Amino acid sequence: MKALALALKSHALLWRQWPKIYGHLAVGLTLALVTLPQAVAFSVTLAGVPPHFGIYAAIWGVLFCAMLNPSPVFHGGPNTAMSAAIGVILLPTAPPFGAEYMGLALTLGLMAGLIQLLFYLIRPLGRMLDLISEPVINGMICGIGLFLIFRSLTTFGGLPLNTEVEWPLWIAWHSFLAILEIGNLHAVEIGLITLATCVIVQQFDRLRNWAILFGIAAGTLYSQYLSATLGLQNTLVEQIGNLSSIHVISPSLPLFNQDALPDVVAIVPGAVTLALLGLFQTVAAMRRMSRKAGEFTDSRKAIFSDAVSNCLLPFLSSLPTCASFNRMWLVHKLGIHSRITIASSAVLLLLLVLFLANVIAIIPMPAMAAVIMLLGANMLNWEDIKPHLQNRREAVVFMASFLSVLFLDLFSAVLVGSILAIAYSKWEQVNPNISLRGNVLKIRGNIYYGSLPVIESIYHDAIDRVDDLIIDFSECYYIDPEGIRWLAAAKAGQTAAFVDRRSEQHRRAVEPAGTTTRRGDESLRKNQRRRRPDRRRRSDF
Amino acid sequence: MPKLAGKLAKIALPVLALGGLYLLAIHKHEQREDIRNASVELTPGCTAKLSRYGLVPGKEYESPYVLQRTGTHIALRGYSDEDVRAIQRGCNIVDDTQGRLAQDPDLERWNAKRFIRGSHANCHHCHRDLGDKQDAAGNRMKGTLHLGASWVMADMYDRFTGLLLPYELRQMQCYINASNGYKPNIADDVIRDVTAYTRFLSAALDMRIGNHYEEQGIDEIAASATLKQGDDYIRGEALFKQKCQHCHGRQAIGQEVNGHLVAPALAGPNAWNMQSRNNFYFVSTVLAGFICRNMPPGQENTLSNQECRDIGYYISNLPRPAGDRQGPLVALQQQLLMTVMPPLLRLTESSKTPGQPPLENGE
Repeated sequence: MKALALALKSHALLWRQWPKIYGHLAVGLTLALVTLPQAVAFSVTLAGVPPHFGIYAAIWGVLFCAMLNPSPVFHGGPNTAMSAAIGVILLPTAPPFGAEYMGLALTLGLMAGLIQLLFYLIRPLGRMLDLISEPVINGMICGIGLFLIFRSLTTFGGLPLNTEVEWPLWIAWHSFLAILEIGNLHAVEIGLITLATCVIVQQFDRLRNWAILFGIAAGTLYSQYLSATLGLQNTLVEQIGNLSSIHVISPSLPLFNQDALPDVVAIVPGAVTLALLGLFQTVAAMRRMSRKAGEFTDSRKAIFSDAVSNCLLPFLSSLPTCASFNRMWLVHKLGIHSRITIASSAVLLLLLVLFLANVIAIIPMPAMAAVIMLLGANMLNWEDIKPHLQNRREAVVFMASFLSVLFLDLFSAVLVGSILAIAYSKWEQVNPNISLRGNVLKIRGNIYYGSLPVIESIYHDAIDRVDDLIIDFSECYYIDPEGIRWLAAAKAGQTAAFVDRRSEQHRRAVEPAGTTTRRGDESLRKNQRRRRPDRRRRSDF
Repeated sequence: MPKLAGKLAKIALPVLALGGLYLLAIHKHEQREDIRNASVELTPGCTAKLSRYGLVPGKEYESPYVLQRTGTHIALRGYSDEDVRAIQRGCNIVDDTQGRLAQDPDLERWNAKRFIRGSHANCHHCHRDLGDKQDAAGNRMKGTLHLGASWVMADMYDRFTGLLLPYELRQMQCYINASNGYKPNIADDVIRDVTAYTRFLSAALDMRIGNHYEEQGIDEIAASATLKQGDDYIRGEALFKQKCQHCHGRQAIGQEVNGHLVAPALAGPNAWNMQSRNNFYFVSTVLAGFICRNMPPGQENTLSNQECRDIGYYISNLPRPAGDRQGPLVALQQQLLMTVMPPLLRLTESSKTPGQPPLENGE
């Protein structure tokens, strides 16, 4: 009786929780279905390994990250830039899809994981990754969004991929022309139907989370209709194909023997690049998305989860993992932030490829390409771009990293953007705000080796004009040893007196004659702050 | 109500835009289909070549060349009208890639020019005599980049990267590096028609698939095939001025007279790029081999191996476009060099050059 009551109660509980579970499942399934084509496309077209490498990364990579990374918006798995880097690094070592190549790909992943572990163990190294500012990340996101659209164009038009490296914008333009002129019109129709369905369904609030699923379903149905009426041999529409070789676990060993040692040594620099590429994206994406979701997760935890996952994944026939901007964007858009949802997406993907391989096999690639294009378009969000364009410096940094993704590559985008952002903040520091009022030389900012020449020039100007110069550095927040030596020399020369209100010095003693201030008058101090002389007015003296 | 209108607009705008693109695609497809069905106007070179090999539509094909050389009748499956048109268009592209002889180059050459940077590059510059070079007696010659011999090795392992390169990808490499351009899509007619032409050549010359023929590729000249004096820029420069400058112009930037291409650029913006195997620094044996067997026209095989290597070395030292994998910095550097170097060199060059002066000086 008791058991029955308990069972009923738990059933009722389950029923009450159903909308929540349903939401989790919907998001998990959407994520699984979005990850699948990316996993297949990244491994085959970019990394040069069979599709199961990407699919295992989408299962185990996502699962490990969900377990190890406390962030509720973090979605790991296969990644465009990392997959492309693997292809480029291994190209000179062995022919793709061969046993040696696959073994080296696993070794490369393992080495990258170990290097990432170093970033976790050596704390300052990990902190370096925090030097990527928000405009850099948003510039990268927009660049990747466009890149995904461009990348999917040929698949959308049912054309063979252009796999060699070339300037992406030109590839995109030529691919677009090729679709118009020689594209497979059946493939284009499937892609357009998928896109149109997604766009329409997105407008209904209740169905929004299912939009991509509806799109894929519509595309698949139309493709099946075409196959039934014309025959697949005539439509020539590419489908995902047979995934029946995938099991729950497929153990593997990275290639490491005496024979392969020269190759392994040769790819060490590549491993460093791969490790950095992953960590940069992970830290940047997590910070951006966590902030959007109002969360905070220590980036060290993300580094740890990435490093450990990447050390384990090579033993499970998988590509390395790192954060995926586009899928995390999707998690955010779908509105359910939970590690359970993300883990469920991995489990659902595993179940899908295990039990529904036959159904997945008939999903047409153009429909998949359409979905990836839609994801890319969603990443170009005006609301996120607008704030950066209102500030000139941020706009420059944003545009630099955005264009770098398109003209150079992802890694260069991070470097260019970060160097610009750091340069700007350094520029701010080397030009402290200095004002001379009466006989008081007030320095706001840092006194350090970079700013000293500016301070010195105004100081020497001032001691020529004023006899009893007083230097007020109460609003300095950092003085480096060189600055201290300079101050000591100035003091020793008895050319100036110092005042620092932090050391309780009497303020009136240093006020220029004629000004009336009352000590502790808060409103006046505020006014003074508001009337802070502009830096450009330094030359007025 | 305004909310509904907004939603409708959000649906209608993308759907209309996509629909418009679809209609445009249908229109462009029809245009292509029309060209595929239209009869082909052959270039003079192609008319001679194809009529010599007896290309006509029919159920069976028998090559006059094979019959004449071996005396045996070998009947192969014939070509349909559609096949013949594809072969003719392919031959036209090899002979006149830039469409200089066409009335509407974009239509008649499948926009082949779209995939080429510069105005000089042409398939037959390297694949001499429309990819089928023969001596006066009709013997095919060793290492002449024969297109028929190239087809019978259709998908081959790349010697340098170990990658299996499909025939189409090998053609793409020509577009990317030899013409410093962009790769066409594998499914593009421009690739398909040239493939049809090369297949026809192999059939006309009775070349069998999977066999390696001497005519394939270049008769490469390695340093070991010389007296091992070392390649020399100065010797190369002197030889270039003596033997090549007359046609290829100063600093090898090619020469056009009254819109007619006298000789293509070997350096500068119209030439092959740094990742082409013609570039001495990338592969040192190819350009030297090409020069020895094909240059100067009319005096082939007169230069010694070392001389060919010296000329190749000199040419490759001149500024040329960067390869597509070398990144924007190298590209910028090369662009700068290509702009600055020719006038600078012209200033520093001695006015007395050995041999004949180039055509641009008024000849």
